[in-house]
Amino acid sequence: MRPLLLQVAAVTAMNIKSLSQRLWLSLSTIVAVALVVVVLLAFLAMGNGFKRTLASSGSPDVAVVLRGGSQSEVNSVVTRDQVRLVEEGPGVARSTDGKPLASAELYLVVDGVKRSSRTKANLPLRGIGKEGAAVRKGIRITEGRMFAPGSNEIVVGKALLREFEGFELGRMVTFGTSKWTIVGVFEADGSVFESEIWADLPVVQSLFRRENVFQTVRVRLAGPEALSGLKSYMETDPRLKLDVKSEIEYFADQASQTSDLIQKLGWPLAVAMAFGALAGALNTMYSSVAARAVEIATLRAIGFGGFPAFVGTLAESMMLAVIGGAIGALATFLIFDGLSASTLGASFTQVVFSFQLTPELAAEGIILALIVGLIGGLFPAVRAARMPIVAGLYG
Amino acid sequence: MNDFMLVRKNLFRKKLRAVLMIVSILTAFAIFGVLASFGQAFNAGQDVADADRLVVVNKINFTQPLPIAYFNRVRAISGVRQVTHFNWFGGYYQDPKNFLIVMAVEPTTYLELYGNDVDVSADAQQAFKRGRTAALVGEAMAKKWGLKVGDHVPISSNIFSQKNGSHTWDFDIVGVFTGKKPQIDTNFMVFQYDYFDETRSFGKDFIGWMALRTASPSLNDGVIKTIDQLFANSSYETATDTEKAFNKAFVAQFGNIALIVVLVVGAAFVTILMIVGNTMALSVRERTREIGVLKTLGFSGGRILRLVLGESILLALIGGLPGLGLAILFILLIRDSLTAILPHINIAPEIVLSGLGLMVALGVVTGLIPALGAMRLKIAAALGRG
Repeated sequence: MRPLLLQVAAVTAMNIKSLSQRLWLSLSTIVAVALVVVVLLAFLAMGNGFKRTLASSGSPDVAVVLRGGSQSEVNSVVTRDQVRLVEEGPGVARSTDGKPLASAELYLVVDGVKRSSRTKANLPLRGIGKEGAAVRKGIRITEGRMFAPGSNEIVVGKALLREFEGFELGRMVTFGTSKWTIVGVFEADGSVFESEIWADLPVVQSLFRRENVFQTVRVRLAGPEALSGLKSYMETDPRLKLDVKSEIEYFADQASQTSDLIQKLGWPLAVAMAFGALAGALNTMYSSVAARAVEIATLRAIGFGGFPAFVGTLAESMMLAVIGGAIGALATFLIFDGLSASTLGASFTQVVFSFQLTPELAAEGIILALIVGLIGGLFPAVRAARMPIVAGLYG
Repeated sequence: MNDFMLVRKNLFRKKLRAVLMIVSILTAFAIFGVLASFGQAFNAGQDVADADRLVVVNKINFTQPLPIAYFNRVRAISGVRQVTHFNWFGGYYQDPKNFLIVMAVEPTTYLELYGNDVDVSADAQQAFKRGRTAALVGEAMAKKWGLKVGDHVPISSNIFSQKNGSHTWDFDIVGVFTGKKPQIDTNFMVFQYDYFDETRSFGKDFIGWMALRTASPSLNDGVIKTIDQLFANSSYETATDTEKAFNKAFVAQFGNIALIVVLVVGAAFVTILMIVGNTMALSVRERTREIGVLKTLGFSGGRILRLVLGESILLALIGGLPGLGLAILFILLIRDSLTAILPHINIAPEIVLSGLGLMVALGVVTGLIPALGAMRLKIAAALGRG
């Protein structure tokens, strides 16, 4: 066993030391593998970033109440009577002064200009109730202050400010004929709320001529387990033909479509490109075997087995692939990780998110590279192992 | 033995190597064909828009409503030839997942304005104008859901409800229309605005947006200004734009699809440039002695150059053409399942042409350096080497 291992080690070292003789071909394989990994990881990081943004928006102890069948906030309508009934429902947490922690909200779509394309895009303007910030977790004003109730002041999410023009603190914006002053910028733990504009509900209702119109009710539950109680309460009351979901479930539903689509695009593209890279890897390794024909035959003639030649060639190929994969993962991290982008979400408004490359995703990229290296090395390695000694010696 | 035969023999002298090159070129061109078609389909809305068509939406955002009274006021503006209005219905069939594009329209003006786009039989036009619950369904939508003339279908809305509390409206399909151009999307349904407006529980006397045709595209700017000024400082200000610009901005909301296409196709091409370029260089280097022999036989430097370049271009074509073919096949296969998202997807002649251009360019770029080297090779050096 030991002599065999020594042979394997010796041949592998030879393979790797002789790489410089096939520098350009080896480099092209590395680059090809790296590009495949970059394409795959860029798509996966995009899908993951989008999903994380929506997933972090939901809290298990917040319930979202929508009109039955409406699916997203933008399509929902809830009446004032229904709002009152929901607020009085079981399991709704109350503030220290005994008021229900609930926020009836209006969700309107307004125009903003995307910085990257300089075209109009749909932005959400949310009219929130007094408890609007309290029913959500992690809301923090980072600049300026919260809007004053009853005034036409707005606060904007940090992510919205980053991707869209004209929402800087202190500026005035016009939606139709109504004029609003931006008095604050808020953070919301990187959630989708950071892509929104918030204002006082009664002011939004009046300036957009939607008096007494509500679209959703968000309530803070006494605990996540209180959801089922609220659900059955609403099912039994015929006046409440409403859907209730935990916020986490609501956003998970919204995230799945888009992030699935992005990931479904990424894999087939990367696999198709991997075939191209595989052809390159095979070519490189066959050339390597051909270039070392005399060397391999000489080794065989002095008593080396076929197995070390096999392992040596496979190791060379795997090494090229791993280098390519690592470069690809690193390049994706440097170029794409944290990159801000926005797309149209399920509520028909822009969702701002950042590309997020996790170690798990990077591992998927390296695995794809290893598969290319393995297949790309396997067949040439078999050829190296089976090379007839006499023909090889003649070159 | 002519030069083409020499080129062919040279290319396939190492069969396995040639096949591997062909496979990598093939995948790159298949990726190019598919992605370029996706990119184009995304932008198809801009290309089908007639130059004289404008869209009038609420200035706040196109999802905000406009009063129905605006319709007649716009109609009276000089330079406006035809105008119609739409209301988004938010339709679905039985389950909210079965999303349908359904709009409430005013039948007569709708048919006038879109006569260039959709082909509706005279009978269907009459029936659509007369029947209160009449609906016209596009060919693509009819095919997808198995709908035909005479069907009575319940369609639900995820936005509106009827006065009786129901979210479902009943429609009678009186016609199936086809697109007059292949790029026209027919995956949608239109029905009578009056039926909608009388039965819905809220939003009465409001419309979603208007579309209009000007007497000539040169009047567009003037008409746009007139309309927006007419409603300036009212409770419902308008934003008017060409249909083309409107569609472009809408597509841009999804993200920079064109940039993604360019980056991925670019990555695929850098890969094959490196692989094929290096392999061509290697294979010409291996043939140094032979090139010396050819030159000894009297082949001129120019002829050698043409032989090597011919080889790399031939390689690019042998790989690229089936690659494009594969892309066409793929697009044809998935087209039906994409009607809801990308109804216009097709491999356009421009894509095939630019593909051919890319093949020649790839052949020239990968073959040029080895070809120049071979052309300049001195016989003595060539025969002395190796």
